[in-house]
Amino acid sequence: MKKRTLLVCLILVACTALWAGGNAEATAAADAKANLTVSWWGNQQRNEITQNVIDSFMEANPNVVIDGQFNEWADYWNKLATSAAGNALPDVIQMDYKYINQYETNGLLLDLAPYIKDGTLDLSNIPESVSSVATEGDKVYGMMIATTAPALLYNKNLLDSIGITIKDHMSIDEFIAIAREVYKKTGIKTNIDYGDSENYLDYYMRSKGHILYTDGGLGVPSAQEFVPFFKIYEEGIKEGWMVSPSIFVERVLRSVEQDPLVYGSSNDARSWCAFFWANQIPATQKAANAEKFEVGVTNWPSDNHELSNYLKPSQFMVISSKSKNPREAVQFLNYWLNSETAGSYLLCERGVPVSSKVGEHIAPMLDEINQKVVKYINTVVAPKSSPVNPPSPIAANEASRLLGSLREQVCYGKITAEQAAQQFFTEANKILAK
Amino acid sequence: MQHTTTSPGLSAKKFFYRDDVAGIIFSLPFIIGFFMFIIVPMVMSLGYSLSEYNILSPARFIGLKNYIKIFTDDPLFYKSIAVTFYYALVSVPLRLAFALLVAMMLKQTTKATGLYRAIYYLPSIIGGSVAVSILWKRMFASDGVLNRLLAVIGIQTDFAWLGSTHTAIWVLIILSVWQFGSSMLIFLASLKQIPVTLYEASWVDGAGKWKQFTRITLPLLTPTIFFNLVMQMIHGFLAFTQCYIITQGKPLNSTLFYMVYTYRQSFEYFNAGYAAALAWLMLIIIGLITSLLFITKRFWVFEGEE
Repeated sequence: MKKRTLLVCLILVACTALWAGGNAEATAAADAKANLTVSWWGNQQRNEITQNVIDSFMEANPNVVIDGQFNEWADYWNKLATSAAGNALPDVIQMDYKYINQYETNGLLLDLAPYIKDGTLDLSNIPESVSSVATEGDKVYGMMIATTAPALLYNKNLLDSIGITIKDHMSIDEFIAIAREVYKKTGIKTNIDYGDSENYLDYYMRSKGHILYTDGGLGVPSAQEFVPFFKIYEEGIKEGWMVSPSIFVERVLRSVEQDPLVYGSSNDARSWCAFFWANQIPATQKAANAEKFEVGVTNWPSDNHELSNYLKPSQFMVISSKSKNPREAVQFLNYWLNSETAGSYLLCERGVPVSSKVGEHIAPMLDEINQKVVKYINTVVAPKSSPVNPPSPIAANEASRLLGSLREQVCYGKITAEQAAQQFFTEANKILAK
Repeated sequence: MQHTTTSPGLSAKKFFYRDDVAGIIFSLPFIIGFFMFIIVPMVMSLGYSLSEYNILSPARFIGLKNYIKIFTDDPLFYKSIAVTFYYALVSVPLRLAFALLVAMMLKQTTKATGLYRAIYYLPSIIGGSVAVSILWKRMFASDGVLNRLLAVIGIQTDFAWLGSTHTAIWVLIILSVWQFGSSMLIFLASLKQIPVTLYEASWVDGAGKWKQFTRITLPLLTPTIFFNLVMQMIHGFLAFTQCYIITQGKPLNSTLFYMVYTYRQSFEYFNAGYAAALAWLMLIIIGLITSLLFITKRFWVFEGEE
């Protein structure tokens, strides 16, 4: 009896499997719709905005079905790398300047040049300087979708209350003088791009005419050049105006809401400024509202702003070379870049749109905060800037982790600025050489 | 067993009626899973550990270079090994001691015992989760619950427990000790198997509570302690979530667990081949420690009268 039951069960299981398989095939055959997956990183606000764009595209193109996938920044890259290894990349991928090289050199990105030639991708309203960023010879392997720039965001109400006015294009000495004064008068400290990020060091080296990371090694000729940079941290900690590194362990780095500019239990744990990006102004202001202060914006301190400042692609859109529906994917990209409907959803959340036509269309729709982003980029950065550095080499991540660790050791007083400079020079060169 | 006798004209019905066939079919889901998700990845990982592999492009065979680099040119390998050993060797004995203590307390049966057991077991169900790690991070923050409680008893401080190299690892160790539930249940079960007659006899002979504990309870528990020790040691060396969520190895890499470092090499630096080599070294380390424990077994584990 038992054995008969088993037999029946097995047959049932087999039938179910057959039925399920057959069924799946039937559905696939029935709809000839093109399926696309689109992936991006971001926050809740961005997810809603992006979903709106996707929905409006599907409405205009009923033959395309789009599945949106989103993650937080850190998880996004893990997931993307593993799907690349599994040959399952999404069709349309939001891509960052730091990673685009890696995907391109491995042949994972679709060449867009043929689609530009046949008009599927319309670049007539997009400046050459934008469309040529992600190119290799005749190949176009990605399209920049928005512009941003380094931006120093600060607590305007705090500085007003102690009579400090910030002027644009501060030198490093002027910046440190302000940091000292703020600390003396209020006890509030300063945070200079703490964490595993090379952004400020990169900006600093640009002012000396160096590119920080190049293929095969550092673009900086000697360890000596790094000493003044680490000295800023060494002195800041010694004099007390630099935020202590111990507060960062309990926070999520790069999270706007947990930055010492807007969050901290005591003055010791707070900073009057944050080394952010222009497109982060709206999110920062939103977080600052809880603390009831206005966010001011200026550029990062540098001894040569002409060389240091740059406009940067805040994101790229790329298409997987393995995509089954490349034409539809390009159509979506084209919609993203050129459609006024898409632009009116996107506004400046990802940065200033690259199409001049979309830019004009959305200008009247922008609220005060979004206008601040555009105004900062157009009037402060654009007139006094140089082209952005070429995309970082693959090992840049590891080098930046090293930088973060050395900066941490300087701030904890474990090593001197000179030792940090020497160690960074030797070890980062070694990492980048592989 | 008469079904298993094979005849030349074996029908399908006969085949399915065989005892061993049924057994195999029922365990097939496990066998397939074991091969697909354990054996195959392990073999692949061994292959990758001998190659340069960045996940995105195909692997390239480089022999033992990864292993050589780990031992000769990677200070973080030694650092993370030291941190992981410290964590495992401190937290596991503490956790076992705590589990035994609570098990002793819960041995008596009263009306509420079931409730207490459930409550004390809860942390080990939820303890390894991301949510608890985040909660832990908040509790030990400079404006967290711990400092508020200290303020209540008169110690005003906004000390960042996670920000100091001396205390950060202890935050993780305490979290681990708090997850004593599964060891506790095992202790509880074996405590109940100790015959009451032994205690009665010793009581008659004039032994106090402490003497009973050291002379009867502990020796009879040694097999359980051994089992718990081996299992928890393996878990301790493979700890990941707590470090990844709470400290990310900070400050100054004083909480950098080996598994987090391996993960970082693989998914952040895209050195998956190197990470595979690190993972194999951990397998060897755990194997050595487990066999070491088994060697010491005969000196302290009581396995019944011979």
